[in-house]
Amino acid sequence: MNQSIQTQSPNNVSLLISQSRTNTLGNKTGTWRFVRPKYQEKTAPCSNACPLGIDVAKVEMFASRKDYQNALKTILLENPFPAICGRVCFHPCESACNRQFLDQSVGIHNIERFLGNWGLSNNQTYLNYPEGNGATIGIIGAGPAGLSVAYFARRLGYHCDIFEKSDNPGGLLVSGIPSYRLPKHIVIEELQRFQHDGIHFKYNQSVSMKQLDDFKHVYDALFLCCGDAQSIALKISGADHAIDGLNLLRQIRTKEAPSLEGKIAVIGGGNTAIDVARSLLRMGARPIIVYRRTRNEMPAHSHEINAALDEGIELKECLSPIAIQKETDLLQVSLQVMKSGEQTKEGRQTYIPDGNLMETMQVKHVVSAIGAEMEMMWRNDQWDLSLSHCRMKKISDMPVFWCGDLTTSEKTVTHALASGKQAVIVLDALTNNNDTEISNICDQCQVGNGPAMSFEIYQQGERKYRTNTKIVHFERINTAYFPTIPAVQVNKLSQDTCLNSFDEVISGFDESQMIQEALRCFNCGICNDCDTCRIFCPEMAIQWDNDKRHILMDYCKGCGICIVECPRDAMNLEVEP
Amino acid sequence: MKHVLEGSHAVSEAVRLARAKVISAYPITPQTHIVEALSEYCADGSMDARFICVESEHSAMASCIGASSAGVRTFTASSSHGLALMHELLHWAAGARLPIVMAEVNRALGPGWNIWMDQSDSLSQRDTGWIQLYCETGQEVLDTTLQAYRLAETVNLPVMVVLDAFFLSHTYEPVDIPDQASVDKFLPPFEPRIVLDQKNPNAIGQMAPPAYYMEMRHSIQIAMQSVIKHFMDVERAFETVFGRTYGPITPFACEDAEYIFVMAGTSVSTCRHAVKTLRDKGHKVGVLKLKLFRPFPYQSVRKCLAHAKKVIVLDRNCSFGAGGIFAQELRAAMYASDQHPQIYSFISGLGGRDITVEHFFEMFDRTQKAANPENESVWMGLNS
Repeated sequence: MNQSIQTQSPNNVSLLISQSRTNTLGNKTGTWRFVRPKYQEKTAPCSNACPLGIDVAKVEMFASRKDYQNALKTILLENPFPAICGRVCFHPCESACNRQFLDQSVGIHNIERFLGNWGLSNNQTYLNYPEGNGATIGIIGAGPAGLSVAYFARRLGYHCDIFEKSDNPGGLLVSGIPSYRLPKHIVIEELQRFQHDGIHFKYNQSVSMKQLDDFKHVYDALFLCCGDAQSIALKISGADHAIDGLNLLRQIRTKEAPSLEGKIAVIGGGNTAIDVARSLLRMGARPIIVYRRTRNEMPAHSHEINAALDEGIELKECLSPIAIQKETDLLQVSLQVMKSGEQTKEGRQTYIPDGNLMETMQVKHVVSAIGAEMEMMWRNDQWDLSLSHCRMKKISDMPVFWCGDLTTSEKTVTHALASGKQAVIVLDALTNNNDTEISNICDQCQVGNGPAMSFEIYQQGERKYRTNTKIVHFERINTAYFPTIPAVQVNKLSQDTCLNSFDEVISGFDESQMIQEALRCFNCGICNDCDTCRIFCPEMAIQWDNDKRHILMDYCKGCGICIVECPRDAMNLEVEP
Repeated sequence: MKHVLEGSHAVSEAVRLARAKVISAYPITPQTHIVEALSEYCADGSMDARFICVESEHSAMASCIGASSAGVRTFTASSSHGLALMHELLHWAAGARLPIVMAEVNRALGPGWNIWMDQSDSLSQRDTGWIQLYCETGQEVLDTTLQAYRLAETVNLPVMVVLDAFFLSHTYEPVDIPDQASVDKFLPPFEPRIVLDQKNPNAIGQMAPPAYYMEMRHSIQIAMQSVIKHFMDVERAFETVFGRTYGPITPFACEDAEYIFVMAGTSVSTCRHAVKTLRDKGHKVGVLKLKLFRPFPYQSVRKCLAHAKKVIVLDRNCSFGAGGIFAQELRAAMYASDQHPQIYSFISGLGGRDITVEHFFEMFDRTQKAANPENESVWMGLNS
């Protein structure tokens, strides 16, 4: 029964109001409940799209709070190279970002780049490696895939020997990607993460398939990470007049490149062709990219193509070279004009010769950049285990993993890193479990709907409590909490400056820009302590205790307001058990 | 220190100095400048308060009721349609006996759409249980807002500080902004008598069946009747610190006056000019400014008007079908007096129309010549 009570006033002003005499804690509104709220974190679409499954939402949360230590640590759980990936990764995360449906995607890769740089300039180079677990693995190739294997394996205690045929680590990070995209000092500094007793580099060591058998007495497992080391040759008459694009990029990095000037035809449409053309432009030449399909079909990433065209590089489409002839000090390239043909069953546009229509082009040099492939000896099609990013075959009972470009569908640095991570998880799972458990373990580590895997989950970190397979869609974001804010534009060198040097074109975010951009992140699916649930709970059933929020089930009446208000889908409403 | 301030910002300054903790408001012309400045103070840290943006005035008052029940000093501002939308919760705030302070900028209600000065909005809320204080100058606005908190917290009733649209809200005047230490001396921290206690949660303002309800309403009336005494105490305390005082009413040249004008708001200033001129011509005229309208200061009004022959009331409002609201209130107040003067009611200056010195001359002229007041209010200044 409700009672009215009179409060005696100190100044004799009458004050009579209705107030319950009994404490309302007696009213257990929880008995009304037939559904219950639950804190349940989910996977953000960016993490799902990231080949490495980085916990992007959490990284941005820490970054926006200026907690760079934890932001970087969160990246390093899944990726050894934030400063490198912040520059060269083609950021599928941004294409998946939910924010694009409100205004523009969050500039995730530039935030990663800032955090990577912060780590380098603050000596935050590695996570702590554990004691050795007694096992030793051999890694062939010190490129991104091999380094990734070493990084993740060492974090599980494996001793690693890395065989590298050149005299320095990094692979195509130092020999392929031009320095205007990735300066060498960044690679060298990030490689500090590998300075550890348990990781041993062996340089100038070429390993052949035949030697693998001899390794079985030394190593518990082998990882083949030698990449697509062989350029695909042009198969046309006069092909020997063409310069190999990959080799040219390597020579440019080592400052051994021949001086090239005048008009140069760059054959190909991939990232290598773009890298070659942009490099030649910086050397004072006039490159022309010649591609047999149209710009839409070029395998190079669109922002790389755009950057090349913005710099003034000419692109000739629908031309397929059929011969190169030497004429005094020029080369004459004969080109077959191509036209669109039928579409394949998968919807891909094919291109066929347009009758006998021909064009010729007189150039000073021809550079072939039509792709690369693995060396013959690594080819294999009999597997004991075949996964999205790696394959395994037992040779004399020793598991041998094919990693990186040897197995991944997309030949990118990030996919190579993902491949190394996956192979290490599989090796460790094989070592400690029955073979039949492997697919179960892989499923548990999967981020979103895959194929990315989380090393943090494999190591039983906090992230394993998420509903990893559930991806947060834009419809689940409460946009009332997010006014539209345009993306921060990244700083770039001026056109004039960048064409005269190999200086890095993109200079990234400064701190305030980075924070501004990180604050744009919805933090999809994770709790960032915004406290909205607690503020809106009409029963005050959400309480803070020991720095954690919890729901008093005696009073939660299951109204669901907290779930509706949660800006980022970090809560679920479940039917009462 | 004196600053040249807009009337709206005189309110904002006072609320900052009063150290209000929660401000919740929805913008509406001509009130917006008040909360605009306060939102800036909250954002730049010069005020330690939470500014709650809401989707309507109804929610603004609801937020203030919640915050005040939680035991903190609160503020909102509104006008016209916004105030009308708050109506339901104005009753609640008073019934819950919460000392909320609101700035109310007098503006006309539509249609026809009109953003200018008119008293209809605040007078429509006269029966909600809010104390109403009408202001004439920027300084008075600032001072009254500070006084309002002390008064509200003494009697546990909400206070509306009323100021004219544009004539006061948007007019710049020199205003003495007191220093924080003096204000803290006059206005100590809020010690709520009603407060939601999370550790011992009680329901406040719940069901009151017939056996209880009437006493609660009687309690409001008793508290209202004590307001005049407490207001005088507040004014005395204010005068001690700041040396300024206003009073529930302010008579000008009324002691020997045969004719006394009565009104509230900025038109009092214009009327004083008219009174001076009329005095120069030998007429015994005065003007009585009404500051406190709820509760109605019966005793002092009766005392001031007792010796006059005729009272001329200016209303910038109309209760349709009855006439000027101030005139009705005065008739009711004077009826019980033994020798009550005749009351002449004029309605003018609705929807922001100017009231000039000439209008007052005309009102005086008509009143002087009339043997008896007309039954209904006379409209002054209509387009012919």
